[in-house]
Amino acid sequence: MKALTANRLIDGEVVFWQAGQWVERFADAQLFADDDAAGPAAVDTAKTQPTVIVEPYLIDLTQGPAGLAPVSYRERIRALGPTNEPTHGKQAEGGAAIAALQAATGAARSTGRVDLIRRK
Amino acid sequence: MYSYDIIDQEFLEDRAAEFRGQVVARLAGDITEDQFKPLRLMNGLYLQLHAYMLRVAVPYGSLNPTQFRAFAHIARTWDKGYGHFTTRQNIQFNWIKLGDTPDILDHLAGVQMHAIQTSGNCIRNVTSDPYAGATAQEVDDPRVWSEVLRQWSTLHPEFSYLPRKFKIAVTASEIDRTAARAHDIGLKVLRGADGALGFEVMVGGGQGRTPYLAPTIKPFLPAARLISYLEAILRVYNRHGRRDNSYKARIKILVASLGAEEFGRQVEEEWLKIGEGRDLPDTELARIRGSFIRVPFETAPPHSDIFDAEHAADRSFARFVRNNVKAHKQPGYAIVEISLKAPGATPGDASAEQMDAVADLAERYGLSDIRVTHEQNLVLPHVKLDDVPAVHRALQSVGLATSNISLISDIIACPGLDYCALANARAIPVAQAIQDRFADADRAEDIGELKIKISGCINACGHHHIGHIGVLGVDKKGEEFYQLSLGGSGAEDASLASILGPALPADKVADAVDKLVETYLGLRQADERFLDTFRRAGMAPFKEAVYADAH
Amino acid sequence: MPTLIRLADGRFSNAEDVFTDVADEDDIPAGPVILSLTRFQAEGDALVTAGRTVGVRIQTDEAIEDLAYDLPRLALVAVVFPKFRDGRTFTTAALLRERFAYKGEVRAVGDVLTQQANFMVRTGFDSFAPADGATPEQWARAAGLFRHVYQRAADHRPPAFEERG
Repeated sequence: MKALTANRLIDGEVVFWQAGQWVERFADAQLFADDDAAGPAAVDTAKTQPTVIVEPYLIDLTQGPAGLAPVSYRERIRALGPTNEPTHGKQAEGGAAIAALQAATGAARSTGRVDLIRRK
Repeated sequence: MYSYDIIDQEFLEDRAAEFRGQVVARLAGDITEDQFKPLRLMNGLYLQLHAYMLRVAVPYGSLNPTQFRAFAHIARTWDKGYGHFTTRQNIQFNWIKLGDTPDILDHLAGVQMHAIQTSGNCIRNVTSDPYAGATAQEVDDPRVWSEVLRQWSTLHPEFSYLPRKFKIAVTASEIDRTAARAHDIGLKVLRGADGALGFEVMVGGGQGRTPYLAPTIKPFLPAARLISYLEAILRVYNRHGRRDNSYKARIKILVASLGAEEFGRQVEEEWLKIGEGRDLPDTELARIRGSFIRVPFETAPPHSDIFDAEHAADRSFARFVRNNVKAHKQPGYAIVEISLKAPGATPGDASAEQMDAVADLAERYGLSDIRVTHEQNLVLPHVKLDDVPAVHRALQSVGLATSNISLISDIIACPGLDYCALANARAIPVAQAIQDRFADADRAEDIGELKIKISGCINACGHHHIGHIGVLGVDKKGEEFYQLSLGGSGAEDASLASILGPALPADKVADAVDKLVETYLGLRQADERFLDTFRRAGMAPFKEAVYADAH
Repeated sequence: MPTLIRLADGRFSNAEDVFTDVADEDDIPAGPVILSLTRFQAEGDALVTAGRTVGVRIQTDEAIEDLAYDLPRLALVAVVFPKFRDGRTFTTAALLRERFAYKGEVRAVGDVLTQQANFMVRTGFDSFAPADGATPEQWARAAGLFRHVYQRAADHRPPAFEERG
């Protein structure tokens, strides 16, 4: 799945596309199937709104442990707020939708190298 | 301190008015984002992940309490109550709205502050020694020359569209607190054999993707010829620096490709042609110098009974003195460093309440002088020994008495992916994990000076190339990994760090640092610092410790 | 054809462009012409000797020093901004005015934006072909936004340290 995101011009707020409107919550974002032409069409429409938003682009989503979330941790941080200040940004609202995004955050996936460090 | 006259003040007002017009034009759709972006960047305004970020200049890291309170006011009124001090001695506000920025710049102009040239391919805010005017080590006050450069570089008509950004540092001491060799130009004030003032001119340092330390191209430039010589350097760079590839556009690449000798020759040739016409008149230099010498020090004995009594009675004060209080040139005074690296805090962040408290202390005890260090801490450069206990207690009450200057928990970290649109990985949580691991203050003091510097991407705002331990966040297949490097230094013994080995996942970085520290403690001879031991013993034992089971 | 703005005696006004900007592959027409540096070096001498009014178009990767000996014979130097960020143009203009004491017209052509009017005027440009369609009034406002300057430059405005004197 995909969603369309941008930053709002006037304040820089992260926004998502929902049926012709820009909404602030990821949970309210319109979802596009990967092959849905409506996604790129929405990007084209967004590009005609240069006094409303900046840099519209589609992001990839994936099913996390508690719901749909952006694949990249960069996009999860955009959808939540900074991890060092949990009361700042969209995450401050809390609730199930935020929790689902946070659950998807997780730590970096372990790789073989993790075990190469000898623990004390 | 330098105080703006009507000319400086009107200049700032004109600049703020110009930007207000540009914002109005952008919001009305009269100019495009592509046209607006370089304009807002030259006023320090970035669009980051969650909001706009405004980077406000702190010229050569020096400011007064009124200016500091203006930061607190901005944090409260237009941000979320805090600001972030940077490795350029500036402050960044993370939650700024574009529509508010004209009002913010007006407010700043009202206290002689601005965001001019804190971004863009121009000469950036000049950095200098945070102990200037307070340390006995300096041969001259580097702020005098920094102020000369602030004025000269402000909207320079020929050098505002350089191939890439351009950073200048000025130091006047054998002990380098500016990372001079990591700058596009490092200037070190010297006295010649006849006692005359001059500069050692280092050119072509920088971090980023391809780090270099600046070689010296002129061992002694007579002080009066500073501006004409800098014009020669900038002109050679403006004409011949690469513009086809932004990764190769910094002056360090030009200097490295020509060789320092040939680059210096070209500068010398241009300098002869420029002549003395561009140099600053002695009268203006004297005017600027005059504004820095009126420090009303009191005559005081070199020891203070009040200080000594507190030192004997309060272990936390004794620790604070060991780590955060430095020698002052004036008997009876001390330099007090304020750490912005409390356990669990975001390195370099200060709340509006903390900023107000520091402004109050500077006013009451610090001759109204505040400095920002490139290591993201604050300094009260002139505190009477009698007053240091009171300052310490006041700092304790606002969570600013952390006694860890230059210790392992005094970590430099850029905002990283928590805020920055350029970052590949977060830096703040990594710093916090390391701070947490070394929370034991006695152990941290036993480890001694150890500078950890963390960047969230290759641009190296967190100075990882010059960390005793450098940490670079990288994106590996969509996940945050961290590459460690060892042996860097931004001090007078400048060196670039070497990569330790393959990048590590986030949750293994603190473990790895622990291993490095244990290795150092095992190898340490006499009073060697981590850096000294690394230089003597080499990479092998450290690499072995972290990647022990890898082969 | 973009508007041409001339600066004379401190005033900005629209001006007629009497020059023909000649591409290297085109024949040289009658009247005043602007040639590339390469073409000027090949054919300029004959034109100037014949009493023609000649200007040269200089690119940012070309050295103005190569024109030094011919400057007294040139009516105009057109400095090309390939993109507004290419600041070599400002050094070219500064050298023309300050090192070579060039008295003819120095024209900004190419990606010439109002936001840089101040820097262009300060480095010695005195004619402008704005790519953004600016009027002389807009150009004058942009060039005069700042009541004070901090550097000596080709425009001979007194810098702050002289105002203070």
